[in-house]
Amino acid sequence: MAESSASIEHVISDDSDMEHMTAAEVLAKLEEAWLNEKFAPELLECRTELVECMLDQIAEMNKNIEKAKKGDFRVTIHRIEIDRVRYVLSSYLRERLQKVEKFAEHLIEEEGKRLPDTASKLSPEELQYAIEYHKSIDAHFKQVALRHMPPNLQSVDTKDTLVKPNLDHFVFLRVNERTLDDVDIDGIETLTLDNHSQYVMRYRPIAHLLENNAVSLI
Amino acid sequence: MDSAEVEFLAEKETVTIIPNFSQGKIYLIGGEVGPFTGSLPLEVPLWLAVNLKQRQKCRITPTDWMNVDKLEEIKRGEIESKYFTEMPSKHYMEMAQILLNCAANDIPNADQVRTLIKDIWDLRLAKLRSSIDIFIGSDGTHAMVG
Repeated sequence: MAESSASIEHVISDDSDMEHMTAAEVLAKLEEAWLNEKFAPELLECRTELVECMLDQIAEMNKNIEKAKKGDFRVTIHRIEIDRVRYVLSSYLRERLQKVEKFAEHLIEEEGKRLPDTASKLSPEELQYAIEYHKSIDAHFKQVALRHMPPNLQSVDTKDTLVKPNLDHFVFLRVNERTLDDVDIDGIETLTLDNHSQYVMRYRPIAHLLENNAVSLI
Repeated sequence: MDSAEVEFLAEKETVTIIPNFSQGKIYLIGGEVGPFTGSLPLEVPLWLAVNLKQRQKCRITPTDWMNVDKLEEIKRGEIESKYFTEMPSKHYMEMAQILLNCAANDIPNADQVRTLIKDIWDLRLAKLRSSIDIFIGSDGTHAMVG
């Protein structure tokens, strides 16, 4: 029936755990990932499972809407909600893509150095996009400028062109779960971050706290 | 973050509405809403409330802090304190804007409410400016906000 969609639980496999989350929880997690991605200066880990789950939900909801009677005003409400979810999804993917383009060389290099059992920050499609984008930019540069230069200046040293994310960028953050003691700031000082408070500081010392959701960026 | 995105986030907050129609529960991706029973209040997300109001299907009950007395109290507290005082909602500015724009007739003394909220906003902005000035000038590595 049209209204049974949200009672479907999605099985999200989180590494080795099988976690049952309701669609609402997935949406909340996706919105958090979206905001973190927006404010972090570097590319964060790819949450493909959340993206795919939401895409499934939207497809389900669209199917249900088509089955429902015309003129039922619930259809409008569902449509508005679908638009909202799609906006979060596309904004999330767009943010990631912008960072992939900005740091293409750096990410490809990191991917090459990655150990096989650590998770990749890029999804397979993003990695392919990064490689092709980098190739295109290189080819374009050669075509437009380099081939007109004298032969000894025709190569581009990657060390000079590499763009790395600025991890010392200041960010605003909010502490989520519990008071965090012993946050080490570059070995110089240790801070205590109180629960439910907001702070502004450099990204580098707190980057690791984003992984387990102890803080969120605002 | 531009203002549209800030409003987008604020629209997830819940408000109380009084529908003038009846309908069963609606199962949204983000949770369920309803059932809607004529003249009985219920909580819905702000985006839904605004949409229903625009189609004249409900009345929006002003939040408990959106009245002249409470706001004057908050404003007094903000003037007296050197630091930021606690606001009734994380999204007080956006919610006030949205509700005053679409449901001004449901909110008593809408103009006064609008002026008070703007005053509180200006006060806090001024405090923020001066404290950020001090923060940057003192080469601080971190600061607690709000």
